[in-house]
Amino acid sequence: MKLKLLKRIGLAALVVTALIMIAVFGFGCVSGLSAIGWSGGAVHNDVLYVGSMEGRLAAINLIDESRQWAEYLKVQSSGGLLGCSSMLSCGGDTSRVPIYGTPVVTDEQIFVAGYNGKIYAYNTINLAQRWVFPRDTYLSPFVGGLFYDDNELYVGCSDGFVYCLNATTGELLSSYQTEDKIWGTPTVADGVVYIGSFDKNIYALNAGDLTLKWKYAIEGSIIAEPLVSNGIVYVGSFDNKLYALNAEAGTLKWTYEAKNWFWTQPVIVNDTLYAGCLDGFIYALNPATGAVVKVFGEEDIAVISAFASQPAVEGNYVVFASKDGIVYRIDTTTQELKVLAVLTGSITGPLTVYNGIVYFQTQDIAIQRVDIESGALLLSISLISG
Amino acid sequence: MNVWELIIQQPLTNVLIVISHAFGGSFGAAIIILTIVVNLALLPLTLSQIKSSKKMMELQPKLAELQKKYAKDRQKLAQEQMKLYKESGVKLQGCMLGMIIQMPVWFALYQSIMLALAAVPEGLLNLSRFLYSWPVVFSAIPMNPYFLGMDLASPNIVLAILVGVFMWVQQKMSTMPTADPQQQSQSSMMLWMMPLLFTFMSLTFPAGLALYWVVNSLFRIALQYRITGWGTLFKRAAKPGAEPEKKHLKFEQPPQEETKQTIVDKNGEIIITDKESLKKSQKKGFLDRFFKGGNNGQQDQ
Repeated sequence: MKLKLLKRIGLAALVVTALIMIAVFGFGCVSGLSAIGWSGGAVHNDVLYVGSMEGRLAAINLIDESRQWAEYLKVQSSGGLLGCSSMLSCGGDTSRVPIYGTPVVTDEQIFVAGYNGKIYAYNTINLAQRWVFPRDTYLSPFVGGLFYDDNELYVGCSDGFVYCLNATTGELLSSYQTEDKIWGTPTVADGVVYIGSFDKNIYALNAGDLTLKWKYAIEGSIIAEPLVSNGIVYVGSFDNKLYALNAEAGTLKWTYEAKNWFWTQPVIVNDTLYAGCLDGFIYALNPATGAVVKVFGEEDIAVISAFASQPAVEGNYVVFASKDGIVYRIDTTTQELKVLAVLTGSITGPLTVYNGIVYFQTQDIAIQRVDIESGALLLSISLISG
Repeated sequence: MNVWELIIQQPLTNVLIVISHAFGGSFGAAIIILTIVVNLALLPLTLSQIKSSKKMMELQPKLAELQKKYAKDRQKLAQEQMKLYKESGVKLQGCMLGMIIQMPVWFALYQSIMLALAAVPEGLLNLSRFLYSWPVVFSAIPMNPYFLGMDLASPNIVLAILVGVFMWVQQKMSTMPTADPQQQSQSSMMLWMMPLLFTFMSLTFPAGLALYWVVNSLFRIALQYRITGWGTLFKRAAKPGAEPEKKHLKFEQPPQEETKQTIVDKNGEIIITDKESLKKSQKKGFLDRFFKGGNNGQQDQ
């Protein structure tokens, strides 16, 4: 009898274990299946503009913390079967349009690209919509942000095209097709548009007509925004390498290989290039030669999480945020790394610095604020429109 | 990274990417191959599970008799049923254990497919931490989601319908015939509910997952056919209350000289058969040859 009872208990335990495993591993969402968005902020006249994770443009007055919101970005109704859009996945909300690119602000307008395949222009005063591109249809999702230059907007799209629009009217001026998706943000310098594609090429296109100036083939896809400085284009790739190319000729100057992808744009401060990597290290390199100045995370502070956020610069400081929610500050004069703040949530969106405070959006649909000098974590500002 | 991710999800994801790279970047081919490989690795467990089900199927008439005999004594009925299982070598625990062991593997495969597809930016960022530092893996990312003109990163109606059809066939083949109205309604509900549920899921999830379900169902159908034949696929369900497996047939003596046929086989041995059986065996011969094992378990009624 005892043996029978034990057998039954054993069987019951097995069934319970199986059910728990099914619940935890099976029906639990695989992390990263839902498109949520990670828009950064752009500040203009003391107002921070950000694409909220609710799927609408939010404007926060940084003086009195008052907020206003634009209309919700509209979901493409024919995006999937049974009313399910292609951005749907387990737990995904079908009515929300993720915004990945950081808004671009001018004196009169704010521009934002949505994951629904549309670009929107709003008035800075009341966030009223001025134009939308394309007007009636939807393109493939926009993941990269926009770049404004001389009343023209440049953007890369998941359909593989680079588009150039008239910023006043939203009219399409020119386009250039690459051979795969574009999820990165372009950079425009000296009349040339630089952008990376999933087709493993970095493109230099003439601004305005988007004719090809040169392209450089590498071994990995590119999502990082290129950085142009002193006639050199710096761009990281999925082949774990950071490339430095001659901006005029598109020839290789040097490469630096890390242990994982370079996801974001590097920054140059005090003649040193700082590049965060998904391997959990920040690489300080000589921008002219690619020689290592220092690798942060190896000795002084052990960093265990990836750097996916665009870093921000304030004076001699460079601020980085790791995916596990830790905000770091590098003093470029002493090459000292300091932990500024530790948050509970994940940080994947770009950092924005304004008046000594770093701003970034977290998944609780709020703007977090950290004082760069003291490291004090200020009260967050909710982006929930209610 | 937790233990589950380290031991199961990470290796599976990297293998999936390497296979895809080996097949010219075809993610669809990688899903098909990996699903077959995992199915082959789990073959002993699956076979034992199907064999147990087959034995259970064969025991149905006896179980029905017991139910009738001990309809008023539940305890005695349970005892007799257990005795019958024991005598026939049916291990209910073994059957369940097989399912329990297989489930996490299937979920890991599903998760790896979803992970490697990296259909959304967050997925791609998340994928980076699962990759081994093999150059082939890094250069293969992001995967090409197009396969036979289908975008495996988006829902696909054709694959969704195929998921439902093949899952229904598989369920139908493995359904145990029963005369118990309650059990019959339960199996009938399962027969339709599971394919419909998976079809609906296929309409909302990336088609890569639907492709995995289709290949998985086809593999199970082939396996089921090899062990039990078409099972109950082409049979009508017994009417509730009808006595199971009991048929009243009227036999008439056929004229022997017309129907019987004498065949001499390769070894020179003489086989006497009747024309009907010969026709039947010739008709189903091509399927048996296709699956190489033939219809071992099917019994002619």
